[in-house]
Amino acid sequence: MTGNRSTGSPRSTGNASSTGSSSSTGNSVMTGDTAGTGPARDHAGGAPAPGDGGARAESPRGHAAGPRRRRLGDAWHAYLFIAPSLFGVLAFLLVPMLIVIVLSLFDWELLSAPEFVGLDNYARLAADGETWHSLWVTVAYVLLCIPLQTALALGLAMLLNRRIKGVRFYRSLFVVPWMATPIVLGLIWNWIFDPRDGALNGALALVGITGPDWLSDRAWALPAVALVSVWQHTGYNMLFFLAGLQGIPKELHDAAETDGATAAQRFWKVTLPLLNPTMFFVTVTNLIGAFQVFDTVYAMTNGGPGRSTEVLNFRIFETAFKQFDFGYAATLSTLLFVIIFLVTVVQVRFFGKRTTYDLS
Amino acid sequence: MTKRILLYATLAVGAFVSVFPYLLVVLTAFKTQAQLSSTPPWLPGLPPTADNLAEMLGGDFPRFILNTAVMTALLTAGQLVFTTFAAYAFARLRFRGRDVLFWLFVATMMVPSAVTMIPLFLIMRELDLVNTWYGLLAPYVLGTPYGIFLMRQFFKSLPAGLEEAARIDGAGSLTILLRVMLPLCRPALGTLAIITVISSWNSFLWPLIITSGDDTKVITVAIATLKDGIGVDYHLMMAGSLIALAPMVAIFIFFQKYIVRSVVLTGLK
Repeated sequence: MTGNRSTGSPRSTGNASSTGSSSSTGNSVMTGDTAGTGPARDHAGGAPAPGDGGARAESPRGHAAGPRRRRLGDAWHAYLFIAPSLFGVLAFLLVPMLIVIVLSLFDWELLSAPEFVGLDNYARLAADGETWHSLWVTVAYVLLCIPLQTALALGLAMLLNRRIKGVRFYRSLFVVPWMATPIVLGLIWNWIFDPRDGALNGALALVGITGPDWLSDRAWALPAVALVSVWQHTGYNMLFFLAGLQGIPKELHDAAETDGATAAQRFWKVTLPLLNPTMFFVTVTNLIGAFQVFDTVYAMTNGGPGRSTEVLNFRIFETAFKQFDFGYAATLSTLLFVIIFLVTVVQVRFFGKRTTYDLS
Repeated sequence: MTKRILLYATLAVGAFVSVFPYLLVVLTAFKTQAQLSSTPPWLPGLPPTADNLAEMLGGDFPRFILNTAVMTALLTAGQLVFTTFAAYAFARLRFRGRDVLFWLFVATMMVPSAVTMIPLFLIMRELDLVNTWYGLLAPYVLGTPYGIFLMRQFFKSLPAGLEEAARIDGAGSLTILLRVMLPLCRPALGTLAIITVISSWNSFLWPLIITSGDDTKVITVAIATLKDGIGVDYHLMMAGSLIALAPMVAIFIFFQKYIVRSVVLTGLK
């Protein structure tokens, strides 16, 4: 329901040596407060950065009262406090997860009783060309939108990370797309992509180009849907990169410049490595969301033309709620979960070389 | 100087691209069918007409808006209450199994909603809750692991000695949470509330699956049905879109600092 916004990931902050510096206080991110970015602090000599609460420095693991103050009443209070959430997590996340896996071993079309079929669904999956096609479409969608929206977000953040007038104004405008209802967005972009009266082909006609019939064209439909994702997510991602950039001490750039590093070298050797935690967070959350894309596809193309935009989540939906083939839909769900899980693990590995997850 | 101009030009283009689709919704929503094809999409239709909005608001739309508002309010209230309790416990109380349980919560953040929707539907079907408010709300009203993660980060950022005085006075955990912590949590709760409001209002797949009647139909599902019903009458569709988007735009304008703050809450800097 909450789509790609409900997903999140363990935070990573700098090197293993950094303490609980990740949780920043409630002050505004845009104040240029440079406190506590792990790698930045390390490079700065490991001294507690200004703004890092002294209290936290004393108890890096963050226990409010320390081990000596254990109270008898605390424990059952705590269990009471987490009980509703724990029930929610068990009943609506973990148990469903188990049900999916179990259900993938059954043949069940709701009307008859479920029938245990072992790994038949997986055998069917292996031979199911349409599903492999969906998988390919999903991967293509991810490749079309993730690199572009990440690069654009970083670029915009770098543009805004300097002393210019109206930073707040631009920052707000860039985030405007993020809150739009995806299903409504689909309609709006249908109108923009409309081949006859739409704004895009209208604008192209002004410069003498005859635009394609975007959403009815097998070659263009998927890029068009991906473009909507880029439009929606670039600005919000930009906020994270901007916050990350503001956590990089200016002295590092100055030092690199003094050493004769070119702008490109400074970007690749200073900025990008120090943005690792941000990059990790942004790519993990965006990828998890992109692999599950549904709303815009549903509103814009309904999987067409000719299955060219039939992403995996759309196929799961169709299999379950149009064909009522719940057993096989569960198999497809398991496949989607495995893919998302593997992609996340790869990223943890990739970014994990430089970062640790500060969950203490 | 040229560099400066280029910079502002880029920013201006970016800002225009960000806002243009919204602008298009407003322009189109006030056009007649004839103006739709006789004027370029980026120019207003003159004279503007309120007929499209009137037609949309004259139908079942207000009811669906109300349903969505009720759903959003309940989910947000649930998220704030249950998340605050759990996050406070995880951040500042000591109890056996805390770390294991917290890891469990963090791990479930990775479980894609696309994967759980089928079993959730089947659970609701077993419980006879399909097409009811209970079915619509139950999976999300107890808060999300992500919310707990954000709030826990915030609680941990508060000074350690905060509870001391209250404890010495004999206050229990509940009193401390409500009297000492909660007043400090306003900014974080505001952010969590805004994120939850937006994601609840925008949610589509779960309502699409679990509801079918008008009694529980929310705006996103209504909009999707609209598309099947009226085809390419973009003036009507944009009127519907305008109605659906307006509350979120208003929230954004008034509470955008909370959205910016959501970045801070993740603990990334």
